[in-house]
Amino acid sequence: MEERQIQVLIEQANVQRGLNNHRGAIELLQRALSLDPDHARAHATLALALLGARRLPGAGIEARMALHLDGNDNFCHYAAAHVMLAERKLDEAWQHCQVAIQSDERDADDHVLGASIRSLRREYTEARQLLETALEMEPGHTGALTKLARMELEARNHEAAAGYAEQALRSSPSDSDAHIVAGLIDLARGDHASAEGHARFALNQDSTDRDAIHLWAAIKAHRSPILGLWWRFHMFVSMRTEAGELSLLIGSFVVVEILTILAGHFDYDRIKALLDWGWLGFCAYTWFAPELFKRMLASDLGTVALDPDF
Amino acid sequence: MSYQIADEPHETSLGAYVVNPSGPLLASMMCGAWMTWPWFAFNAIAMGSPTKKKELILCAVALGGTILLGALMLALVDAGWIPLGTPYKFAMLAISTWKLAMAYYISTVQSRTFHVYEYYGGNVRAASGIIGTGFWLKGIVFALSDDPLWIIIVAGGL
Repeated sequence: MEERQIQVLIEQANVQRGLNNHRGAIELLQRALSLDPDHARAHATLALALLGARRLPGAGIEARMALHLDGNDNFCHYAAAHVMLAERKLDEAWQHCQVAIQSDERDADDHVLGASIRSLRREYTEARQLLETALEMEPGHTGALTKLARMELEARNHEAAAGYAEQALRSSPSDSDAHIVAGLIDLARGDHASAEGHARFALNQDSTDRDAIHLWAAIKAHRSPILGLWWRFHMFVSMRTEAGELSLLIGSFVVVEILTILAGHFDYDRIKALLDWGWLGFCAYTWFAPELFKRMLASDLGTVALDPDF
Repeated sequence: MSYQIADEPHETSLGAYVVNPSGPLLASMMCGAWMTWPWFAFNAIAMGSPTKKKELILCAVALGGTILLGALMLALVDAGWIPLGTPYKFAMLAISTWKLAMAYYISTVQSRTFHVYEYYGGNVRAASGIIGTGFWLKGIVFALSDDPLWIIIVAGGL
């Protein structure tokens, strides 16, 4: 009786995850786990819901708990691979993904996840093979087509990327990810109006979709050169891990300070003043620009016409 | 009773005084370390952070490290190993870098819990008034002692 109740709660949580209502899914899974705190599948599903809510530390704990409780469950490995991919622990993520693929060789989603991991490991040929296998299993698989479009976009093959995005949109005309990748391709080709159309569509589906907001912000950054500069800087910094980000920022500070001290030591007063003012300007800009950017975005998103049924 | 996820903050009676961790980080540049470490520690307790122990240890390490580096540097200056002027400035830069790196790291750790705290609708107080007060108080704090080690400990990262 209890197991059946838990299964129903997990199914309901999966429906909520599909609707991007991660908070609702988390609450349902907490209820499931209060009935049985050792239910591996509930922990694994909770890990994915927490990942959707961008609560990575919690997701990591839940995914590892699920594996600890049932190391033979394919789904626990699938969830662990997802979480470890987000943690950028790519070797571990690939190990778990391999277990998931081997346990269920006909699951296209496992292959698409594997492709995401391998492309981050810069193993593009292997990633492409996995995506092609996924498409053989399930022709028109939107996730696989979207991933291929992203890979072509990263390789700056805009025409090929547009071809895959078109196929993805034909396969699932209302899929947000397909619209977002199509918008990114249009943006890269300089077609801002079409990119904005795709961003609007995705935002109408879910006004809190971070990737859609990201696309919208990128469009704004292309149109506003001064704030666009901050956006590019932000993207450059945030591509790194937390440790990399810290090293980059502190490293920049140390380099500027060393140059300032040396300029003072050798009596290059004008260079010293230039460095001082330049650094102050950089600090002020990077402090205020995100705030201005956020406000601009908030006012823009307030005017996005939401679907009447939203 | 609902299952509690490990990253969830616990409710505390000090919830009304929680600030965004970027507040204490900014205080490390504007006001000084005298304000930063205690503020980070207080914020961790007020938020009911599940990583409270780690954050408190990091604050203690930051303070202890600053005292150690400061004392070492002053000893080397007294012994004539670090002459005043450019070498002294480089030594001070090492201490500033230590303070900034620690403040940035603690802010990153605390931000993870802050994100979840906000997710559950936790109360957040504006930090600007506190930073403003700290900025005016820093002269008084610095003047509490003439010992150069004191200045090194309480000064900011910049």
